[in-house]
Amino acid sequence: MASDASLQLNRTSSNVPLVAVSLLVALIAIGFMVNINVDNVMSTFELEKRSEARVPAFMFRISLLIIALVAGFIAIINTGLYKKNKIAFSPWIFLSIGLVFFSIYVIIPIFQSISYSFTRWDGLYDVNGVWTGEWIGFHNYIVLWDDPKFWTSLWNNVLWLILFMLAVPIGLGLALFLNQTVRGIRIYKSLFFFPFVISQVVVGLIFAWAYNPDFGLVAEAWGFFFCEQTVNIVGNVTTKCSIDPPSILGDEDYATYGIIAAGLWPQIAYCMILYLTGLNNVAHDQIEAARLDNAKGWNMLRFVILPQLKPATFIAVVVTVIGALRSFDMVATMTQGGPFGSTNVLAYYMFDQAVGEGVGRYGYGSAIATVLFAIMLVYISYFLFRMYQDEKEGR
Amino acid sequence: MFPSPIEKSSPKLQIAYKTALPLSLFIWLLPLLAIFMTSIRSSKDINTGNVFGIPTEFNFIENYTQVLTHPDALTFLLNTFVITIPTVIVSVGLACLTGYALAIYKFRWALPLFFVFVAGNFVPFQILMLPVIDLSNTLEIYNTVPGLVLFHAAFQTGFCTLFMRNFMKALPYDLIESARIEGVGEFRIFWHVVLPLVKPAIAALAVLIFTFIWNDFFWATVMIQDESSLPITVGVRSLNGEFVQQWQLISAASLLAAAPPVLMFFLMQKHFIAGLTLGAVK
Repeated sequence: MASDASLQLNRTSSNVPLVAVSLLVALIAIGFMVNINVDNVMSTFELEKRSEARVPAFMFRISLLIIALVAGFIAIINTGLYKKNKIAFSPWIFLSIGLVFFSIYVIIPIFQSISYSFTRWDGLYDVNGVWTGEWIGFHNYIVLWDDPKFWTSLWNNVLWLILFMLAVPIGLGLALFLNQTVRGIRIYKSLFFFPFVISQVVVGLIFAWAYNPDFGLVAEAWGFFFCEQTVNIVGNVTTKCSIDPPSILGDEDYATYGIIAAGLWPQIAYCMILYLTGLNNVAHDQIEAARLDNAKGWNMLRFVILPQLKPATFIAVVVTVIGALRSFDMVATMTQGGPFGSTNVLAYYMFDQAVGEGVGRYGYGSAIATVLFAIMLVYISYFLFRMYQDEKEGR
Repeated sequence: MFPSPIEKSSPKLQIAYKTALPLSLFIWLLPLLAIFMTSIRSSKDINTGNVFGIPTEFNFIENYTQVLTHPDALTFLLNTFVITIPTVIVSVGLACLTGYALAIYKFRWALPLFFVFVAGNFVPFQILMLPVIDLSNTLEIYNTVPGLVLFHAAFQTGFCTLFMRNFMKALPYDLIESARIEGVGEFRIFWHVVLPLVKPAIAALAVLIFTFIWNDFFWATVMIQDESSLPITVGVRSLNGEFVQQWQLISAASLLAAAPPVLMFFLMQKHFIAGLTLGAVK
């Protein structure tokens, strides 16, 4: 009986020595962490450059932080308070690191950026670490309103959004085409999916090269239709074209379409794979029942298959919208916004204004980023709303 | 199955389908094939304008070794691994914890906090860019590999949490409940009951995050200035700058930059696709 009681007591009361020791460890670790800095790491290890000491100093600090965290958690779970409220406390312990980390790097910066957009600032601090910017209210947004480059970027973003949506139906078409069971079809499916796995930078390079008017794929195809090659007696080849091959990326009117076409290539592959997975899960009995009712072809697709593919369509639309608004890599590798700023999108224009060569307009850049964020927020809210409804139905 | 299986249709149609398949694949992958063919040509071929014809000699090994033996190329590739692997470990590890908290415990904040992770995952990078640069400067890790890793890991935690939480939500809740009744502690339940069950999700996430980070271009451009710390996606540009007009080397370098995720995809296809559907299409 006595041992039972002590066991009971043990379960809900603090393990004082353990709590004390781990708290002490945590405090010591934090103390060291605060005191280690780049300068004393540099002098201890006799490094020559300050920049060489930055990574080791950071590594020391983060290791100490981890020790402090582990010790801290051991202390917490051995207190009586935790033991009595296990179910209420545990989720917060599990969440803490991830949530704090995510907030520091993602959630808080959103608000910081919005606040930067009301300032004029070049990203610098003075010698004492004091911020050198000034508050200018809505000035950046007023300048933005009169900035033709901003409107070009915004218009290009709209183009991206609209044309990128083509990836959804084309992806569906491709998925329907490939949803068969002939030999080797699995290899075909993976090869069709291939472009999505390649980095956008490489896709950009591939297409920039394919569009090259002198020796790219497009020029080659063009030559097939519009050019004639003649060989004179000496054997020199001269090429005559009725219309010169277009320089897609060099032409203000076509460049954006050229980049979007390149971007569509991996995006179609992504949508295709979503639909292939969706088609795999379409209920067999419903298709058979519909077949008995003589449904086929378009009607079957429209009334039986598509409704069942709704989750796939939803994800396809969401990732396509996000892909369109995030388009940066392609623009950066293919045209860098040119010619004459005609291929700028908000994402690239912001980058260019904020950290582009010799510009450093942090405030103005943040205003552009805020506009882009506002557009994205529409889609994010819709996505969350749909998710919320699913959650309510689910449980 | 929809559309109806091709085996049930007329022989003519079957033949048409079987010829259309390789043909369409050829057209689909034409840009890639063309650049691959370029990467194994000799410089003589390219200079004489033989860009699409049959190569006069196959320089596969020569061209690729020439790229790989370029001192910068190896550094860039190595940097990419050093950036990618820790990111995968940290973000997937953290997401196991956060996902567990949000899926298993029924507390008032579970759904709102989950939505915070989901929303943060979709924001445009540009709205994070300047504060993150500023923060990295304050921590004195701007322009270093750990600085980039720290951001990547934090940002990917959002996506990983979304995925993990949905996966864990689908686990049978009785399992956790009965473990609790047995008197198993919360951390033991997490470690011994739940983690073994989510191994497939961990694999899917790891493959996916590996690809995302490998292919990242924006953050590496923004956060790293030193040539010696650049990953291959950014480095390939400066390589191309050095291989002026040597298109066979430029294409070989581009293809090398794309290779590891491709390998990863072909090795772990099932996991990869499971990850891409965001857990929404089961």
